[in-house]
Amino acid sequence: MTHPGDRGASGAPGAQHLDYRVAHLRDRLAGGPLGELGVRVEARGDAVLVTGCVPSTRCRDDIRRIVREELAGLVVHCDLVVTDTSSPDHAEDLT
Amino acid sequence: MIRIAAVGDIHMGSDSQGLLRPAFDTLPDCADVLLLAGDLTRHGTPQEARVVAREVEGLGVPVVAVLGNHDHHDERPDEVTAILQDAGARVLEGQATVVSVGEARVGVAGTKGFGGGFVGRSAGEFGEPLMKEFVRYSRRLADGLRAALERLEAEGCDVRVALTHFSPVPETLAGEPLEIYPFLGSYLLAEAIDTAGADLAVHGHAHAGTEHGMTSGGVRVRNVAQPVIGRAFHVYHVPVPERLTTG
Repeated sequence: MTHPGDRGASGAPGAQHLDYRVAHLRDRLAGGPLGELGVRVEARGDAVLVTGCVPSTRCRDDIRRIVREELAGLVVHCDLVVTDTSSPDHAEDLT
Repeated sequence: MIRIAAVGDIHMGSDSQGLLRPAFDTLPDCADVLLLAGDLTRHGTPQEARVVAREVEGLGVPVVAVLGNHDHHDERPDEVTAILQDAGARVLEGQATVVSVGEARVGVAGTKGFGGGFVGRSAGEFGEPLMKEFVRYSRRLADGLRAALERLEAEGCDVRVALTHFSPVPETLAGEPLEIYPFLGSYLLAEAIDTAGADLAVHGHAHAGTEHGMTSGGVRVRNVAQPVIGRAFHVYHVPVPERLTTG
């Protein structure tokens, strides 16, 4: 059984557990200058997967930088796609 | 046939100017009206709203918009609305507007809408004041949408479209985590649409969702969040019913 304040095998305090670091990253992405709520951050084993669609390359680069800062020391797989801004090549007929 | 272009969640910031304009400049060739389904900015600042305004000003087709939750973040939705209106956009909240396309009259009723969830899994108006206000707010906005759609019916519009940011149905959220559905939409919006009637419902907000859905009453729903449609906008061809003749 574990109790609040227990330390993990690495000696890190509970607040440094992967789950909480992921949650804090999501909070920073949403509440910081990016205002980014559309990016999904998920723990996958010992690694973290960051996916989603963002409006610009600058936004993608900013997210990658923040992820690196928040999850320093962890393996992170980033698969962020920049939204296509081209015109559609067809329409949907709703008849 | 009416050609309706729509996109939501373009999330424009100070570095976004000109990203969508080249595609928007093609609109007169393929659409009769452009609908913007909210989250036009990242933080809802006047500066970001001016980026959006320049992106849609003088497009050659009418622009009708609702705001999204991002457009409220800076707590200046009225300023954002005014800036977009100065650029010629019609910004709706519990309101309706009519666009003439040839002899046809296309009515658009709009609200941002709000969350609360879907039938059987929805928040109730009970408990703490904050919780009750959450549900009441969602209900007020849905009521505004219903009243606006009913006004369009009374005005004899040939085609009616419900424009929201939050989703009226869960089908177009498929791909999002089930746990956050109550923050992505409300059945109250679908109930309003089915009660008043509409030919199409368009929304955004759910970036990982799915484009196609339908209300219980059979109204087609389209999630046009830009990450979902993967283009600057999508175009829907909506038939104009033959006018009933009397006598």
